[in-house]
Amino acid sequence: MNSVRRKILILTSVTVVMMLVIWFSFTIYNRQTQEQYNEILQRYLLLNEVNVASQQLITDLNLYLSTSDPDQYQKIDQIKDSLREKEADVWSLGYQENEFEIVNYVHLTDSLIETVDRSISLHLQEDTEAAANEFNDATRIANYISDTTLALVDKELKTYDSFYRHIIEQSVNINQLGVWLFLFLSFILIVLTYLIARSITRPIYQLTEAANQLSQGHFDTEVHVDSNDEMAFLAKTFNRMRLNINNLISEIQLKAQLEKELQESKLLLQESQLRSLQSQINPHFLFNTLNTISKKAYLEGSIETSDLLVDVAGLLRYNLKQLDRSVTLYDEVTVLRHYIDIQKARLTDRLQFTESIDFDLLDLDMPALTLQPIIENAVIHAIEPRESGGKIMFRVSDLEDQVLIEIEDDGPGMTEEKKIQLIEGLLIPKEGHSTGIGFTNVIKRLRIFYGSNDLVKIDSQINRGTKVSLILPKQKGGTRNV
Amino acid sequence: MRKNVIAFIIFLFVILGYFTITSLARVVRSDWQEPLPINQADQKYRLVLITQDIDTPFWESVIEGAKEQAEKDQAMLEVLGNYGSNEEAFLQNLELAIHSKVDGIIIQGLDTDEFKELTKIKAAFYSIPIITIAIDVPMEESLRRTYVGSNHYESGVKLAEQLVEDMGEVGKVVLFYDQEQYFYQLERQAGIESVLKKYPEITIVPVETIDQKEDITSTTQDLLNQHPDVDGFIAIKSTIALGMIEEISRRRQVESLAIYTFDDHDDLEQLLIDGKLDAVIKQSPQEMGRLSVQLVIEWLNGETVPLDFDGYLTEIELVKATDFDE
Repeated sequence: MNSVRRKILILTSVTVVMMLVIWFSFTIYNRQTQEQYNEILQRYLLLNEVNVASQQLITDLNLYLSTSDPDQYQKIDQIKDSLREKEADVWSLGYQENEFEIVNYVHLTDSLIETVDRSISLHLQEDTEAAANEFNDATRIANYISDTTLALVDKELKTYDSFYRHIIEQSVNINQLGVWLFLFLSFILIVLTYLIARSITRPIYQLTEAANQLSQGHFDTEVHVDSNDEMAFLAKTFNRMRLNINNLISEIQLKAQLEKELQESKLLLQESQLRSLQSQINPHFLFNTLNTISKKAYLEGSIETSDLLVDVAGLLRYNLKQLDRSVTLYDEVTVLRHYIDIQKARLTDRLQFTESIDFDLLDLDMPALTLQPIIENAVIHAIEPRESGGKIMFRVSDLEDQVLIEIEDDGPGMTEEKKIQLIEGLLIPKEGHSTGIGFTNVIKRLRIFYGSNDLVKIDSQINRGTKVSLILPKQKGGTRNV
Repeated sequence: MRKNVIAFIIFLFVILGYFTITSLARVVRSDWQEPLPINQADQKYRLVLITQDIDTPFWESVIEGAKEQAEKDQAMLEVLGNYGSNEEAFLQNLELAIHSKVDGIIIQGLDTDEFKELTKIKAAFYSIPIITIAIDVPMEESLRRTYVGSNHYESGVKLAEQLVEDMGEVGKVVLFYDQEQYFYQLERQAGIESVLKKYPEITIVPVETIDQKEDITSTTQDLLNQHPDVDGFIAIKSTIALGMIEEISRRRQVESLAIYTFDDHDDLEQLLIDGKLDAVIKQSPQEMGRLSVQLVIEWLNGETVPLDFDGYLTEIELVKATDFDE
């Protein structure tokens, strides 16, 4: 974290440290040079001081000899002391080239002091002439000191000549170094600044680009940022947001699909309810009337008609009562038989119905009015169009976990295309069904009831017949029979 | 494009870095070497060689020899000299050396009271040994330790004998003296006279002059006027010989005259080649320089105490004009 700040801090501190180092080294160098200058100057000053002091000594001696002032004597003593001190310093000025002069210089100073001492002691002994002689000597020695001072300065200039030139050259070099250093560091800083700036702005640019993409609705392009700082963090968050949005969208799409399906089944339900309402026009009245007619026919000895009327009434009652609740296979088979009886009465010999039922399976739960529409289909498509009639076979057999119900006819069959349409529920049911419930309706209800899709199978061949197989699980809820 | 830019940046970096580093190296590097300090514990002997005629080949040779020996003995030798026989500067140098308390003084002798006073009193006061070189001053007058140089009496004898040999035993010879009458000149004079006295046929015309060009010229003119029949000249000093020959050559043929002198001088050799000068006494200056330094150091080390008061004589050689003929 704080990577951008760290980058900026590093850049700043590198700059500051560089400047400090340069400033320090230049300051140190300047101080060294200054020290050198001072040392050189001090050499000259020292020589001059000795010279001045020796001249002063002569002046004071002269005064003393003429006035015998004890103050003057004190003064001479002081100068002598300072000269002796300076002698030690003068030694430090020596090097091999000027050794001879330096030694001479020191000895001359000694000689001067000695001569002055002698002059004073002679003066105290009142030997004025001898004192004056010594004074003359001292004067000459002082002059020699002056000469030697000049000679030393001369030597100094000669010896240090190359050094002075060196100093001048160095200052030129320092200036050059300054210029080069300035160029070099400026260059480095510019490059460094550019790199750091780019490492900050490039991720921002990439992020902007990604945001642009997102805003235009391209949720699939991944957000990628070449960085390891906050920008990378931002990019990661951005990416996660993109994924979340993607997930949400697909969730919404799924929900919408479900909603649509629900709507469809609701419509289906409404339709069938409407139909049933239509046919409910006073069903009890119709039902009672049918029963009355049945009894009347029975009393009049028309037993067949009475039976037929009972079948119709049974069918009607089943139809009215049991559409939206589960029934057993037994109920379904009973209704089926009523229907077959009615159709037999209508079609007489043209309809041959055979059944084979495993009676152990009759308590299977299933939706009401499942089998009757399929049989009716068989009657409508396989029996009615043909003069000679046809066969319908109904079988219920055990398949361990499932129950297999087959309705087979020997009718004209159907094309593969139609078969698929039928299973997919794309065929619009035509009017003409006695119960108003078509094959498609059956399939849908079965699917909803069992929560499974592979329940209906159709085998059909043109001019050979059609077999509809229902494979219903014994346990409701499909294959999860643990 | 990007590659080019990177290459350019690296190139710039290298170039700038190179110049920065080289200029840094120039600043840091220092050719200058601090002069070596004096070794105070190991003090060498400080010797001084003082002369009046530092620019003559004679003294150059003396200095050369002395310096060689000083280097061999690891002594410091300083030459104090002045040009053109400036006596005052010469004495000042001597006094300076004495007051500087050098360990030994090798000096061209000067036959004056000031010189004697300095050597006798001042140098003795500081107990500095003095050796005279090339030109002697009597020991009693200067308190010198010894003398290193030619035997001037002997060289006078040699020159006079050569004169007699060249000129014959009959003739008129001019002896050109220096008015100052230095000790070494007196020696030479004595040597010459001791030879010429043996030949009564040879007339000696003694002439005195001041060692200044105008004086030499006028003295020569007078001499030639008074004695037009002179056969030979002996100049006691080379500078006199030079002025004299110049003046004579203005008046007459020089080659026929027998002219002799002492010492070396730059111009003497050419005169010898031209035949204007017949013979010169040549000394051994280098040997003088060498020996004098050696003797001072021996004395200081206490190896040869005392030094031979009579002096250490170096070789003298007679160089004739005929030697250049071949």
